[in-house]
Order: sequence, then C-alpha cells, then structure tokens
Amino acid sequence: MPSAPQDTAAPSVAASGVRQRHVTTLLGLISTALLACSSADKVTTGETGGTMVIVQPAEPRTLFPPRANQTHELSVIASVFDRLAEIGPELSTFGDIGFTPRLAKTWSWAPDSLSIAFSIDPLARWHDGVAVRAEDVRYTFHVYTSDAVLSESRSLLGNIDSVSVRDSLTAVVWFKRRTPQQFLDATYSMFILPSHLLASLPDSALVNAPFGRQPVGTGRFRFAQWEAGSRLEIIADTANARGRAKLDRVIWTFVSDLGAATVKLSAGEADFLEQIKPENIPQVASTPSLRLESYLSLRYGFVGFNLNARREPLGAAGTPHPVFGDVRVRRALSMALDRARMVRSALDSLGMVSFGAGPRVLIPDTTVLRQVPFDVAAARALLDSAGWVDTNGDGVREHNGQALTFELLVPTSSATRLKLSVLVQSALKNIGANVVLQNLDGSALGPRLDARDFDAWMGGMQTNPGLQGMRQTWASRGALNHQGYNSPVFDAVLDSALTTFDLARSRGYWARVFQQAIDDAPSVWLYEERLPIAVHKRIRIAPLRADGWYANLADWSVDPAQLIDRDRVGLGGAR
Amino acid sequence: MRGIVARLTSRALQSVLVIFAAASLAFLMLHLAPGDPISGIADASSVPRELRAQWDAQQGYDQPIAVQYTRWIADVARGRLGQSTSHQRPAIDVLGDRLPHTLLLMSLALGASVLLGAAIGAWQGARAGRRPDRAVTTASLLLYSIPEFWFALALLYVFAYRVHILPATGMFDAAMYDSMTPWQQIIDRARHLVLPWLSLTVMGTAVFARYQRATMSDVMREPFVRTARAKGLSEAAVRRQAWRAAILPIVTLAGLSFPALLTGAVFVERVFAWPGMGSALLDAIDKRDYHLVSACVIIGSAMTALGSLLADIVRAFVDPRLRVS
Repeated sequence: MPSAPQDTAAPSVAASGVRQRHVTTLLGLISTALLACSSADKVTTGETGGTMVIVQPAEPRTLFPPRANQTHELSVIASVFDRLAEIGPELSTFGDIGFTPRLAKTWSWAPDSLSIAFSIDPLARWHDGVAVRAEDVRYTFHVYTSDAVLSESRSLLGNIDSVSVRDSLTAVVWFKRRTPQQFLDATYSMFILPSHLLASLPDSALVNAPFGRQPVGTGRFRFAQWEAGSRLEIIADTANARGRAKLDRVIWTFVSDLGAATVKLSAGEADFLEQIKPENIPQVASTPSLRLESYLSLRYGFVGFNLNARREPLGAAGTPHPVFGDVRVRRALSMALDRARMVRSALDSLGMVSFGAGPRVLIPDTTVLRQVPFDVAAARALLDSAGWVDTNGDGVREHNGQALTFELLVPTSSATRLKLSVLVQSALKNIGANVVLQNLDGSALGPRLDARDFDAWMGGMQTNPGLQGMRQTWASRGALNHQGYNSPVFDAVLDSALTTFDLARSRGYWARVFQQAIDDAPSVWLYEERLPIAVHKRIRIAPLRADGWYANLADWSVDPAQLIDRDRVGLGGAR
Repeated sequence: MRGIVARLTSRALQSVLVIFAAASLAFLMLHLAPGDPISGIADASSVPRELRAQWDAQQGYDQPIAVQYTRWIADVARGRLGQSTSHQRPAIDVLGDRLPHTLLLMSLALGASVLLGAAIGAWQGARAGRRPDRAVTTASLLLYSIPEFWFALALLYVFAYRVHILPATGMFDAAMYDSMTPWQQIIDRARHLVLPWLSLTVMGTAVFARYQRATMSDVMREPFVRTARAKGLSEAAVRRQAWRAAILPIVTLAGLSFPALLTGAVFVERVFAWPGMGSALLDAIDKRDYHLVSACVIIGSAMTALGSLLADIVRAFVDPRLRVS
C-alpha cells in the first residue's frame, strides 16, 4: 500500500501533536491537582509529609551500590534501592527467620536447600516506571562478583554459585553448599540493580558511570537531586507498590566540621545528626527542639596485639612477638586494665565493656562468658611468673634483655580510641609496661597494619550481621586478622558455629568461640558504643537497627502538630 | 609594543615552567607520603588488603612512581587531569563545581579587604602615632593574630547559634531554596554568604591595613609631601598624593593574594561548609587523592602566575616610573 504523501500527512501529524500536547497538559494539570490534594490531605492526616534535613560530615563518593561502603553512602542507597528480602530487627541470620519480603514477594527453598527461588513482586517498578524482572537479580549478582567492578561485598557472596532466571518473575539463587546463613548471603549483600539501564555498559565502565550520581532504584524513596558539596535529596516514591515513604523529602547536607554541624542542628537548620562528639552532647541536650537517642551498633573496639614478630607476613611460620607471643603477658595486660572505669571515663553512659571478638548484639549468649578479671596484683604476679621483672629499677620490666616496652598505634580518626589509648598507657605503667603511643591518620595506619609493622594497635571493627566476618577478622587465615591470631581450636569451633543447622548447638559453639578468644587474649576486648544521634522532636523515628540507623527510614514521619515551614513544601520542585 | 609582547611571552613561558614544577612537586611529594588514594577511601581495618591491592591495580597505583608520573604528565599535556578517587569522577568536574563557589567568595572578600584595608591603613598612616592610629593598630594586630579558624567559629557561634540572625552553613537553604522566588533565592544566597565573607574580609582587612599604614606613614615623611604642603595644597590633597605613592605595596600584596582566590579559604570553607576549592583540597590531601590535589595545584599555580602578571600591569599603570623603565 502506497504511503500518503508527506504534504498531506504533515497537517494531520501536527494536529495530532497539538491535541497530544493539550491532552498532556490537561493530564499534567489534573495529576498536579490530585498530587497537591493528596499531599495536602496526607499532611493534615499526619500519615505522610514533611521534610527531614540530615547533616553529615562527609559526602558520598558514589551511589552505585556495589562500590559504596561507607555509612553515609549506604544511608542513601538503602532508601533508594531494595534487597530481595530484608533482615529482621533481631538481625537473625539463621535460615530466613525474621526476614521480610522486599523485591521478592515470596521465596521457596529447594528440597536439598541448595537453591532458593525468589518470586519478584509483579507490582514492583523501577523509579523510571519499568517493571522489575528476575533478570535484574541475575544481572546484579553478575555485577557484584565482576572482576571489573571489584565490589567489597564480593567476598560475602562466595557461597553463591550462580543466579538463574526461571521465568521473568522468578530468580533462582544457587549455592555451593548448605549453610545456616545462605539466605543472608542471597539477600543482605546485594541491592538489586536495573539491568535495563546498566547492562548495555561494559562492566569496566560501571564504577564511574553517571548512574552512580543519578541512581534509579526501587525503594520507597527515589533519588531527586545531588548538588556536589551542597545537598543530596531523595523524595517519596508515590507510586511504590509497597507504599510511599512517610516523609516527603530527606535532604542530606554536608558539613565536615562536627562542631559547625552541631550548630546547624541546634539552630534548627537541620533535623538529624548521626555523629555527635561527646563534648557536643550537652549542647544538643540543652536545645529544646532536639532529643538525643542512641542505639547499639555492630562496632567494637580493642587493643590488638601483634602475636608474631614485627613485619612477619600473615600466615608465615611464625616467630613469636618478643612481648605478645606469650599468652601470659597478654592476659596480664588485660588484667591490668580496669576496662569498666576506662570505658566510662571515655564514653560515659554511651560506652560498654566489650564481651569479646564481636558486638554483643550478635553474641547469642553473653551470660556464659568468663571474662579476664581486673586484678592488678594478679597481673603483676602473672608477669613475674612469666619472667618479666624489673631488674634495673627503672619502672619497666625486662625479660631476656627485652624491655616490656611496645608501640601502640592509634588512629587519629577516632576520638574514643585516642582517649582510651592514654588511659591504657597510664594503667599499664602501673604494672611495669611502657607503652609508646603513635597517633596516625588512616592513610598512614593502613600501610603499617598491612606490613604488620606494629606491636599493638587500638583496633575497631564494624561487622555485618551473621558473624561470618569473624572468619576474616579472627580466624588464622583471615584477611583482616592483623593480629596474626592463630588458634586451631578457635578456627574449628568457629567453623562449627557457622555451619551447624541446630540452633541450640549453634549457641553452644558460639559460646566456645568467644570464650576461646577471651582466654587466648589476642586483644584486650575493650569497648562497645551506643551511638548517639540527635533528632528534631517533631520527627518520629522507627526503631533503629544496629547495622544502620537508616534501615527503616521510609517509616520515619513528622508529627503533624509540629510542622515547620520546610514540612509544607511537599515533594518539592526537584521531581 | 614589540617589547610588551616579548615580555608577555617571556612571562607566559616562565609561568608554564612554574606550573609544571609546582604540579610535579605536589604529585611527587604526595606519593612520598604514607598511604595512597585507596587507603584514603577504604579503611585498612575493614577492607582486606587483597581487595585494596586490586583497586590499586585497577587505577594504576601499583605502578612505579616514575610510570605513574609519566602517564600523569602525558594526560595533563592532553588536558586530562585524571580521576578523583575521593569523588569518584573526573578531577576537572570536581574543580568545575567548586571553582565558581570559591571565586565568588574570595573575590568579594579579597576585593573588600583591599579596599577597606587600603582606606583604613591610609587613614592611619596619615595620623601615625596619634591615639586613633594606636587604637586601630592594636585592633588590627589583634585580628591579625587570631587564628582564622577560631574567628570563623566565633562568628558562627554568635550569629548562627546565639543570636541566630544568619544561617550557619552552606550556600543556600537546602530545604526551602527550590520553593523560593528568584528574588528570595538571591537574598538567601546573600545571607549564606555573609558569615564566610565576613570572616575572610575582617582578617584580610587587618593584613592590608597594616601594610598600607606602614607605607603611608613612610610616604608622609617624604620630601615631596613637605613640598606639597609648602606649596599650600590642602591636607586632603596632600594625602591623596601621598596615598597614590603608598598604594604600590598594596597592589603587589593583592597580586600575591590572587592564588587565595582558589585555595586561601581552606579553613573558612570548612567551618561554614562552603563547597569550594579550599575544602576540596584539604579533603583531597587527607584522602591522598593524587589527581585532585595535582589539579588544584595546577590551577593554583596558574592563578599565582596570573596574579603576579596582573600586579605588574597594575603597578605599571599606577606608577609612571615603572612604565618608563
């Protein structure tokens, strides 16, 4: 059939275009009106609406989930992207206990438990309107494990063999072996990525792709804008299948000076501050519009001893450290520290004495653990029995010509550890140990730890739920086992704890794991922190989860009786 | 005319050499410092060494320093300033975002400092040794000796926290800006500019005033001033003549302060969270962001060369003796 000549078709197309514009304009007006009505309506009912301004000291480098590893990046990412399922408030990692659906509406285990089929919610949509498909899950696993992307989470995905697509809404995750944490492996470490936007790019281009600054996710918030150095804004995704976020907008502003950040908060220019210096807490507490909250975190701190000779590579045959090679010395040093008093002095009510090689939130039963007691006399006696005595009367013990002197590396980035290091130095002087403090910034500390060129360091760890990270941090071949702790017993019990499917036996194994680390004293288990946050009183927060305060951000809301100007902006002009 | 062109060409070549030397020095010295860009963004206690080594290799930071340097120089020659690790985007894009903010803040602050400093210093110099001069000298010395950081914090505390008549940080109201009218947006930006501008201007004014006072009081003792008075010129006319002769050091100082347009507001930008070059440079050094630091140094040294050239031109304009020579 011959096509119509262009000159006759043109007016028709033009007319159609004009009509389309009118219709579009009309629809736009109607939807704007509806949106305005619904927005206003919701503000008055108090269910939704409001703006929260967060002030934080650092700006994200990227919002590309596989390469984001900092809290200030994850707080945005966890709001814009979804996992297949979300871990429960108890952070249980045993099977799928406590997990709730997110992108996956349901899931089913294979009879041999070597695969899990996740059924994607058919209503789930990317923020650009495209439907979420099982292919997105397969692609996400590919990206997270890609050699070109080099995601930090890759090591946590080691038990996943592959992801296959059964049909457009069913993704099957295949595992190499059965473990109690395999559901966690499949869900916690991956935020699902949009394959329709990224798959056309080579993997090597993903890390620096524009997507990292303009992400498209599936979360109850969607990305709105990011002005470098000034602000990053997300807004409620009003079309989200799981319901829009209660707040209209969350805006991150960046103030690297924590004192200035506190002033901004106290002056009412911001509503939420995640990091508060202890010296600024009274200022926050005395500001009527603010309230202080705190939550248990997954961080713990310790004095880590290098158990091998300095600069000896990890996994080498092992020349013992002249001081810390002897467990009696390590235990004596632990005994000499009044940890409760030190922690109270450094952290006041926000500090707690650590139970061991993990945060208390993740230790199944802390009551059975026998701690090294604070006993200075016993510490002295133990050092005497180990042959460390002060022969020349200079106040420092010696043994075989080696003085009980060691260097303690302290990261300057942590005010808590700086304070505690001075207390450690002072306390150990009482038993004849000379501690030389060496304060280093993060860039200088890292190479020293890597080269194992240190005696001891003020360590700190932030763990993930599930305690699989203990393989890295404390097992003999762990990549983050800077201390060189090497205990076959510990390794064996840890392996049992991580692989048994019997919940009761698992608790028993965990108790033995932590007790072994207490008895061997590769570190002085020093402190845990309740992390303080300051929040405006009109903001109603959801329960704060230990692995990140931001976990339930979409359920935070504003008290409708206390609205301020910025709460009335609605979804703002950044849509 | 030919002489001017030759001189400008010579200065341009000198400038290129200076920029090249400064950037190379910055690049090499940063490489000599402990750590690398990956250790700046990934905590050694939480990211395994193997993974950090792979990131290093991906960015080429595992290469010998000579190889890295050669590759960097070749890139710079082609106008590519490299990838910022701390911002995960091209360093030139980071500078493109930050530079206008710093130029706005610093040009206003430097301009006001020069004008106010020259005026106050000239006023003092003409009254050197008298009580008002001593009072102002004491005040300017006090301001001169206060750390910039502390002064900025004090302003923040008083005007943003205690009195709360000015916003504390940032360039605009992050929550309300988009819903403001254009006029309200201008006012909002001006309000956010006040405290950082005031911090820099007050400190800068004290510096310029001290220099201007010293030269003005010297000039006021010159024979031509006595001659002018003897000829019956009014005191105001005499001071105008003297001030014209005394302005030269201020012009030189202003020229030398030109690089501060880019990097001079490091601490003030940090306190007031002003997203400029200074805070970006400080952050980049902390995170061992080689390419961003080097890019800042290139821009900074280019501005130094340009400032020096501009100062020469202005001096020649102001001082006829220099034009003749």
